[in-house]
Amino acid sequence: MSGAIRSELLKLRTTRTFFGIVIATLALVALIAGAQAAADSFDAGSTPGVDLLDVAGLAQPFALVLGLLAVSTEFRHGTITPTLLATPDRIRLMIAKLSAHVTAGLVLGVVAYALAAILMWIILPLRDIPTGLPVGDGVEQVVGGVVCIALLAAIGVGVGAVIRNQVGAVIGGLAWYFMIEPLLTAIPKVGGWIEDYGIGGAIAAVSDTQFEGGAEIGQIAGGLLLLGYAALFAIAGAILLRRRDISA
Amino acid sequence: MTATAPAIEVQRLSKRFGTTLAVDDLSFSVEAGKIVGFLGPNGAGKTTTLRALLGLIRPTAGSATIEGRPYAELDDPTATVGAVLDGGMFHPGRSGRNHLRVIALAAGVPNARVDELLELVSLSDSAKRRAGGYSLGMRQRLGLAAALLGDPRVLVLDEPANGLDPQGIRWLRDFLRSLAAEGRAILVSSHVLSEVAQTVDEVVVIHRGRSIEQAPIGELLAGRGGGVRVAGPDASRLAELLRADGAEVSDGHGGAIVVADRSGEQVGALIAANGIHISELASAGQTLEEVFFELTSDEQPEAADDEQAA
Repeated sequence: MSGAIRSELLKLRTTRTFFGIVIATLALVALIAGAQAAADSFDAGSTPGVDLLDVAGLAQPFALVLGLLAVSTEFRHGTITPTLLATPDRIRLMIAKLSAHVTAGLVLGVVAYALAAILMWIILPLRDIPTGLPVGDGVEQVVGGVVCIALLAAIGVGVGAVIRNQVGAVIGGLAWYFMIEPLLTAIPKVGGWIEDYGIGGAIAAVSDTQFEGGAEIGQIAGGLLLLGYAALFAIAGAILLRRRDISA
Repeated sequence: MTATAPAIEVQRLSKRFGTTLAVDDLSFSVEAGKIVGFLGPNGAGKTTTLRALLGLIRPTAGSATIEGRPYAELDDPTATVGAVLDGGMFHPGRSGRNHLRVIALAAGVPNARVDELLELVSLSDSAKRRAGGYSLGMRQRLGLAAALLGDPRVLVLDEPANGLDPQGIRWLRDFLRSLAAEGRAILVSSHVLSEVAQTVDEVVVIHRGRSIEQAPIGELLAGRGGGVRVAGPDASRLAELLRADGAEVSDGHGGAIVVADRSGEQVGALIAANGIHISELASAGQTLEEVFFELTSDEQPEAADDEQAA
């Protein structure tokens, strides 16, 4: 098993995709957190520390894309054939891919939050603005945010195994994240339920812990709900992968 | 694994894709130390059969086993069977060496073996370049290196000569010969008979998913009035040697002899081994290529005979 996981981690490190995603994430976080820390007036009653750390949440869609590419890229280039020749047990392969991409998601989350925190610690004192964020709350926010990013990578792996077409998986996954689910919340009656318990609701609960008004469910419950979604897609992806004839 | 199980055994294998029956009740086997050519026109079901053998495609009926077991049940698949299949098989952005390292890690093969194989297939110089920039021949060699990572006892190659120049085909032929001489079983598919005719010990000919023939090359020819015609000063001495070896030899005109059940290569080897002088060595009657066309043409020979009779 460890060989299969290490193989998946090596796959991530040996193409430009993973590094491109990390660099794009860090560039975006640096740009937005830096600009906000330097220029936001932070009116009375605002929470500068929370707002700046939250910028690291921009890593979420990037982690999702990383996961979406895990299986779909193998089908795109036909590498699924040598991959399955070396690891014929497809369930094992799915577990290896999930482990590797959760690890990559954790790394991406840690560096994104670390960057946001560093910018916060450097820029806010220069402007004599207090972070307004107790250490305990900050830790809660960062841990929740990093776990959320890792779980989005896991959701991506499952969805990518279900959709299999690389372009379709990435476009479909991002459309769901940015558009489809937010639109669904506007539906009368079920919309409210989707807002609280959909993937977006779970993400908000686990990562936006200091958000005023808060999510409907707590951080731990939100994390477990998101884990449930990840498991659901992973199982669906594994079942489909197992049944599939690999003919290209 | 039982001691008697053949290296590769396909038994009554069928595979249906929607309404198409790609493989239809196909059976054949490959023994250790033998190179078997798996021949048929494009679309005959060769790739589907090989993919079923490798556990990539689920058979509709029948079985395809390696050393008596389905691929998924092999204890160490990479050390048991190596495969080169048609198509990309590698990520264009990953270097050839990293491609092999990825497979080696999953298979539990040390990195030293990766460099050893890069050397063997003459890719060491390009190993750190992105594989997307490799020529077709380099890609085929990278595929071969991947197949050999686990030092497998069985090799399955799907159209390995595709895109190779004559030098490349010659290199491949010698390479496969040396691998078989080490006792490995090799199944190699092709839609062009001449690519493999000089390499293989036996051929399995399939058409429309069905096996038409499995036979040693010599037998395939012998049954069709084929064979090798040899002329020259020492032709009669060659005939004696061949008869002593159990070959079927008849006298042709002008002092020439016709060997019914040996391939040109086999006769050539005997000539070289005994320092025999000849002036001519040629296929007599139907060539392998003609036999192949006859076997895989859509009109059955019997049907053609019926038309003549009518």
